[in-house]
Amino acid sequence: MADAASYEDELYNDGIDEHAAADGMQLALWKRLFRYSLAYPKELAVIALAGLGTAAAELSFPLLTRAVVDDVAANGANAAFALWGAAYFGCTALLAVCVAAFVWGAGKVEAFTSHDIRREAFANLQRLSFSYYDYRPTGWLMARLTSDCSRLTDILAWAFLDAVWGIAMMLGMVGVMLAINWQLALLAMAVLPAVVWVSSKFRKRILLSARLVRRTNSRITGSYNESIMGVITSKAFVREEANAEEFSQLTATMYRASVRNLLLGATYLPMILILATIAVHMTLAAGGLMLLAGTLTVGTLIAFMAYAREFFNPVTDLGEWFAEMQMAQAAAERVLSLIDAKPEIEDSARVRQALAAQLAAPRQELAEDGGAKRIEHIELRNVSFAYEAEKPVLADVHLTVRTGETIAIVGPTGGGKSTLVNVICRFYEPTAGQVLIDGVEYRERGLHWLQSNLGMVLQNAHLFRGPVRENIRYGRLSASDQEVEWCAKLAGAHDFIEDLEHGYDTDVGEGGGRLSAGQKQLVSFARAILAEPQILVMDEATSSVDTETELKIQQGLKFVLQGRISFVIAHRLSTIRNAHRILVVEGGRIEEAGTHEELVALGGRYAALYRQQSLSDATRQWGG
Amino acid sequence: MADYEPQEASAAPAQATGLWLLGRGQRTRYASAIVAIGISNAGFLLAPIVAGSALDVLLQEDLEGAMPMLAWLGAVWPGQAVVGYLFAAALVGALLVALGSFFMYLRGRWAAIASEAIAQRLRDALYRRLHHLPASFFDAADTGDLVQRCSSDVETVRRFLSTEVVEIGRCALMVLVLAPILFQRNATLAAFAMCLMPVLAIGAFAFFSKVKRQFQIADEAEGAMTAVLQENLAGIRVVRAFARQEHENERFGTASAAYRNNLYRVNTLEAVYWGITHFLTMGQIGIVLIVGGTFLAAGTITVGDLFAFVSLVGMVVYPVRRLGEVLTDSGKAIIALGRVNHILGAAEESREATPRQRASGEIVFERVRAGYKPDRAAVVDFSAHIPAGQTVGIVGPPGSGKTTLMRLLLRLYPFHEGRILVDGVDVRQLDRHWLRLQIGVVMQEPFLYSRSIAANLRVARADAPDAHLEDAAREAAIHEAILDFPAGYGAQVGERGITLSGGQRQRLALARALLKDPPILVLDDSLSAVDTGTERRILDALARRRGRHTTIVIAHRLSSVRNADRILVLERGHLVQDGRHDELAAADGPYRRLCEIQGLLEATIAADVKTAEPGQADQADQKERAHGGRG
Repeated sequence: MADAASYEDELYNDGIDEHAAADGMQLALWKRLFRYSLAYPKELAVIALAGLGTAAAELSFPLLTRAVVDDVAANGANAAFALWGAAYFGCTALLAVCVAAFVWGAGKVEAFTSHDIRREAFANLQRLSFSYYDYRPTGWLMARLTSDCSRLTDILAWAFLDAVWGIAMMLGMVGVMLAINWQLALLAMAVLPAVVWVSSKFRKRILLSARLVRRTNSRITGSYNESIMGVITSKAFVREEANAEEFSQLTATMYRASVRNLLLGATYLPMILILATIAVHMTLAAGGLMLLAGTLTVGTLIAFMAYAREFFNPVTDLGEWFAEMQMAQAAAERVLSLIDAKPEIEDSARVRQALAAQLAAPRQELAEDGGAKRIEHIELRNVSFAYEAEKPVLADVHLTVRTGETIAIVGPTGGGKSTLVNVICRFYEPTAGQVLIDGVEYRERGLHWLQSNLGMVLQNAHLFRGPVRENIRYGRLSASDQEVEWCAKLAGAHDFIEDLEHGYDTDVGEGGGRLSAGQKQLVSFARAILAEPQILVMDEATSSVDTETELKIQQGLKFVLQGRISFVIAHRLSTIRNAHRILVVEGGRIEEAGTHEELVALGGRYAALYRQQSLSDATRQWGG
Repeated sequence: MADYEPQEASAAPAQATGLWLLGRGQRTRYASAIVAIGISNAGFLLAPIVAGSALDVLLQEDLEGAMPMLAWLGAVWPGQAVVGYLFAAALVGALLVALGSFFMYLRGRWAAIASEAIAQRLRDALYRRLHHLPASFFDAADTGDLVQRCSSDVETVRRFLSTEVVEIGRCALMVLVLAPILFQRNATLAAFAMCLMPVLAIGAFAFFSKVKRQFQIADEAEGAMTAVLQENLAGIRVVRAFARQEHENERFGTASAAYRNNLYRVNTLEAVYWGITHFLTMGQIGIVLIVGGTFLAAGTITVGDLFAFVSLVGMVVYPVRRLGEVLTDSGKAIIALGRVNHILGAAEESREATPRQRASGEIVFERVRAGYKPDRAAVVDFSAHIPAGQTVGIVGPPGSGKTTLMRLLLRLYPFHEGRILVDGVDVRQLDRHWLRLQIGVVMQEPFLYSRSIAANLRVARADAPDAHLEDAAREAAIHEAILDFPAGYGAQVGERGITLSGGQRQRLALARALLKDPPILVLDDSLSAVDTGTERRILDALARRRGRHTTIVIAHRLSSVRNADRILVLERGHLVQDGRHDELAAADGPYRRLCEIQGLLEATIAADVKTAEPGQADQADQKERAHGGRG
């Protein structure tokens, strides 16, 4: 899916203003990025040397032409052809070697630096809290790690090369020309201000219009993506014509933006060519006069004309890089922001010490963070949680859960059920209050330890592309095929998996899309069981499964749940009824708690909820 | 869902296109662009010849062998013919380059317009075609791959059209124009001047065809890395839930390093290529210079000739080197076009005649069989008659064929045997668009467009007034939730906007289907993520609409289907039971088993409720009796 990479930033406002970012040159930003290239000092040295060598060779060619012409003019057939031939061959060889060297060096720095930045950003993404993901689309994150990384490292490597080469080339040419004939040199450089002016006018405009092209292009890509993902819906609502109509407006915008961008480019290059040719022919006219006057050799004139033509290449090249760097500053900010983002939830210094100590001198009976391996009970004390200060999602929750208990959580949508579980699993930390594991505040325990003891089954079961077997094995990577199948049986998934075209080796497709919602839930159930978690969370995990299959799962679960803590969030009565305790969560509070019988007897919210679901059935049975 | 055989043959002709056909409507522009580049080249090539002639005149200090036109122009300069000639040559040389530059601009302009117009047409055609392809096409395909065909493959074709087409013309013209000029000046030197060019062109071509495989490997490695990244980000919650960060870091690290190493390998090859071609390029100029120098010494050519030769060879040798690349790029463009044609050439869904009137909503399934292979049928021998206005519940375990039935009804997939009739007409004789307009469907995992909520609802009925939107939203119990968003009905759905919960998505999709107000309403397990209180409200609202639509409710909660006029029970593609709730609950069979799981509970509930709160239970009892009495 290389093209999600072209996802652009208008799809998500990340607060970075492209226009502001493109103003001026933010050296600090580039310094930081350049530090990644410093990991490859040998290659940087090769690039610098090869850049200098290239410039030297390119400077020599006009001088050699001059030497041959003037030598022949002076000595005729006795000219030192062998010497010039050898010198020319030497320069050519130097150029060839230098070109090969800088392509190799810059390519290596680009590829390797890009990999390093990507890895660092990716590793940080794995640490960042859920709240970071809540507001950032996948496409936005992908663009940072793919196209932005490539673009920035491309600049780092090749702009560095062009800076060395360009500056050497310009200084060299100016020096050589001035040394040979300063009047003619000044004349040849007379159009330089015009070149700089045209270049500065055009480059930025070209880049800006290129940005519009890129953005439109990513919207087009997004539209294709949407049209494919939603093809069934579009067909069901007969949206074919309407969608195509809207899309054609997008492609029309694309046409205008692209043509504009290409026309700017098509205007710019001829303009520079015209300016260069003015310099060349002014040199010819003035140099010709000097030739007539005898103050200039014909070889020198030819060399000067070559310099006049070549002189503007490094100028426009450097201008181009300058503009490109300005435009890429927004991308640089974004990538660095991703690397710099601090996880809201991470191990404290003390926990990190404990982890290091346990790693250095492992004690088998203890967990990786030096605490107890087993979880006996979890206690929530005055726990509150809010995404935004004024809107609490959980308020003052008290709860104690012991090993072996199954806790069902019911309540209306948005009441805080999932948040409660997420706080217990430390995907979110309470904004007030404490969560204690066996009496220890859970922020004093390792985050990885806790979460590697979790098994989660979510309503929107996400599977990874690949065989069913590997998806289940994700719960415990070392599990054998037998264990995988055993858990599939417990989860009631075995039968349908066997029925698939290639059984356990069937590819489930992107995000598990080739399976139905119910089948995905069953597979993710098997995955969670295989993990042998101490805490099992089932968040509306069987909503797309029929009652009979669910019953089978529950029978399997009875065996699995022994000695574990489990939380079940569900709407269906049959799912929750057998729990040891049922919590009614509404408005961020535990409004009722107790066994099924107790709560029904209480005659409150649970009883009402319960009746709601059962009354119609009951009615009919009573002969309604 | 993956297992279906290819779609029935399409009536629409295939639209696959070749490079020549692609140029339709823009060929004149391309021809003009090639002419323009020819004129432009002539300008660029003549300039050094003019300058060379000026050098000769300066060195001889007379006008022998001079260009007559320049001499004539130079005569304007009073007295000094040589100086006049020099100035005329400088002026004309500059003008020639300016002319060349102007035509270069024209070439750029025409090529840009032509290629962008073609790209636009290609993009529109692809989009349209994607919408008209049968659903089975998408089962076999990968979203990322299709998007790539529509974006980067189109881009490859476009780039080829905008630069390479004209580049081939330019290269050919340049060699064709230049060779006679050089050979006429000095055949031997001309032969020397061109000796390395075939080596360059053929060498470059050979190189690029040889390393094509390596380029492809690097591309694939990039794709693989992006796929790992995408999977990780999409499933980040699963990664966290199983604390698999280390594992994921390793996976991504491996993929990223593989891409890096492949890129590096490609790059090393390129370094060698650029080194060698630079050597050949400069070597070619060097040969002209040194050999030309001996000729100059021997007096067979003039300084001006040598200057012209060196400049011209320098100008031509780069495009020739590029020729190898251009030819390989053409190869890439042809491959890309082939990938695009995979979509453009695929058969569309067939179209049939459209009945004018709205359907009444009667549906008949007659011994329908559908599936991938005979031994793997998703639906087997399925028959049912659903009169207009009836509400039918369908239950069955995952994979029993419920969703497949719905898709057959919508004619999204073909079936092998039997018939499906709507209003007594075989659906295969009904136009798909008309048929689908008669059916409002809410899917298990509904798809919403990344637009506003209101726009998502209006997908069902583009001209619906706000009041109707709100009515439908109320019936689907989503109105209050929508008003809770800061932007209300204007809130954006999708990555750019608000995140909707599973239940909210389902209710929004339901509202969309209700707004359509179709003769046939299909709810495919579309209340699974909705809490029971809300479900009750929705079912009540649907009950008020009873008779207005033929309604098919696929569900797992018995509470969703038990009030239906009829319940169909599916198992492994077979219809095993068909009847009213009471009938099925009384008969021995799977439905009774389902009821027993819940029914056993209900008995307990009833007992619980009675013992716990006799007064309230009695009240409820009475209320229900009254309700039951009405029904």
